[in-house]
Amino acid sequence: MRTVQTSPVELAPPLRLVDVSKRYDSGAGGEVVALSHVDFAVAYGEMVAVIGPSGSGKSTMLNILGLLDEPTSGRVELRGQPTVGLTEKQRTDARRESLGFVFQDFHLLPTLTALENVRLPTAFLPGDATDRARDLLERVGLGDRLDHTPDELSGGQKQRVAIARALVNEPDVLLADEPTGNLDRETGTSILEEIRRITDEEDVGVVAVTHDDLVTDYADRTVELVDGVIQDG
Amino acid sequence: MAENGRRFPALSLATRNLSRQRLRAGLAALGIVIGVFAVVTLGLLGNALSVAATEELGGLGDQVIVSPAEGSDAESLDARDLAAVQRAADGRGTVVPLKTTGGTVRASGGRTVAQVYGTDSPQALFGNGSGIVPAFHRQGAIVGADVAEDLSLRPGSTITVEGNEYRVVSVLPEVQSISPLQPDSAVVLPPDEFATSGYSQVVVRADSAADARAVADEVDRRLNARQERVSVFSLTSVLDRIAEFFDLLNGFLLAVAGVSLVVAGVSIFNVMLMTVSERRGEIGVLRAVGIHRKQVLRTLLVEATLLGVVGGAVGAVLGVVAVVVTATQTELPLWAVLLPGNALVPLGAFAFGVLVALVGGLYPAYRAAWEPPVEALRG
Ligand SMILES: Nc1ncnc2c1ncn2[C@@H]1O[C@H](COP(=O)(O)OP(=O)(O)O)[C@@H](O)[C@H]1O
Ligand SMILES: [Mg+2]
Repeated sequence: MRTVQTSPVELAPPLRLVDVSKRYDSGAGGEVVALSHVDFAVAYGEMVAVIGPSGSGKSTMLNILGLLDEPTSGRVELRGQPTVGLTEKQRTDARRESLGFVFQDFHLLPTLTALENVRLPTAFLPGDATDRARDLLERVGLGDRLDHTPDELSGGQKQRVAIARALVNEPDVLLADEPTGNLDRETGTSILEEIRRITDEEDVGVVAVTHDDLVTDYADRTVELVDGVIQDG
Repeated sequence: MAENGRRFPALSLATRNLSRQRLRAGLAALGIVIGVFAVVTLGLLGNALSVAATEELGGLGDQVIVSPAEGSDAESLDARDLAAVQRAADGRGTVVPLKTTGGTVRASGGRTVAQVYGTDSPQALFGNGSGIVPAFHRQGAIVGADVAEDLSLRPGSTITVEGNEYRVVSVLPEVQSISPLQPDSAVVLPPDEFATSGYSQVVVRADSAADARAVADEVDRRLNARQERVSVFSLTSVLDRIAEFFDLLNGFLLAVAGVSLVVAGVSIFNVMLMTVSERRGEIGVLRAVGIHRKQVLRTLLVEATLLGVVGGAVGAVLGVVAVVVTATQTELPLWAVLLPGNALVPLGAFAFGVLVALVGGLYPAYRAAWEPPVEALRG
């Protein structure tokens, strides 16, 4: 567990966007503004819901937060440090050390068991994350499915494996892009409960993106995006 | 992924991925199997043939035959010529002066035309592998295998050559290798039986092909300086030509086989390209969760290389087996296949197969590993 209030660095939010814009060339000289002057931060242990209609820039925002993409202007701060100018290698390390990802279509490796999938982010690291992976799987209720491959698991179970994988590296923030998008409402609800519970236990910040409002019931805070602009209110 | 997976994550991930598309992986490896098989069989057969042929023709290259030059007055070589040849061949081989004529040979079993040689040292020319060729030849006749068979001759039989009777003292064994003299259809008599005093040719049995070349040059220098007295015949240059031909043939066969390996490389390239485009999302996830581009690259290269290792090993083993079986079923001598130096062929072909697979996987792996994860994940 983290001690929240000691040094100034610890006081900085784990992940923050400052005046971030993202524009895409849409061919024929046109431009799509996916994000426009977005200011955003998430705190340790906080769960933020980002909602908005399809095409409003939610995934773009999450990718920029996740150091998978770079803003056209503005800056991304990781634990108070700007990330501009990091090499691809440094960004990859930063993702592995500080961030966890959950995707709409689970994105588990079909050849690996649940346990191996959870361990995957640490595969090329020295040391053995098996105990941590097993512990996480037990905590998401899959203690009896450790050696099952994804095709032997239901959608909800796959997403639980993905949540465990996102947390295996003890990240500061978990980024979830439509985590319930491929699940029925009931399963989606239980997944959100799971994310909420386990990230509270781990004191991990969460940014969860959805196009429906299911997630807002579990979030500490909801941010609405419309055409790349954060709505006040 | 147990213990290995933790120690060699790239290898473990790669083998899992290969097992996912067994048929496709098998077909890609089959290309390497065929390519390596072709290189090994053609390479080994080419080598073995060349070695066997050189062995067969080897005796030819060691002989230098000195005879009166065409167009010169002399019908035969005299004692001075012989002495010159002997000096030229000193320390490099054995000199055998030879009288030659054609003649009819009669015996109770019939008659035949034979090459009649006159020499007192038949061993130097016809070998003594069977232990029956006398070192010095003073009386009687030595007959070649064909002559003996045609006339049903055995040691002790009597033959008539050009009106004179001789007892057969020994029968030459059938000769396997090619030789400018034709021992099989020859009758060898003591030189005194010939009316002429000169020699129709002087044969030098050199100790090696290099010696033969040196002797030929030296004889030429000594006897043909002022005028063309003798013609010096040596097959070393013909042998060189034959060796060159085999080199060319081997090179060509290997090139053909090499092309089939390159085709195999293209099929690996193709399969890896398919694989990585199907697994774009997965590779994007690997990158997103903090696995480096080079680690992804390594995993994919291990995957491609494994196809080459398995295909290459199978191809090399099958190729060696095929050539050994061929050798046991044909005239090709097995020893020429099993020379230690020939081990380089399957080893080299295996290494080449692995390399081809690695190179085939390079671009697809690079492209996949360097793709920005956002794009890979968008699918
Ligand atoms: N790589 C890209 N190239 C061009 N336009 C893009 C690209 N990625 C996203 N966009 C555009 O940016 C806008 C926001 O997209 P996105 O962030 O995926 O929205 P959401 O996740 O809210 O549905 C959309 O108009 C989309 O078409
Ligand atoms: Mg989206």
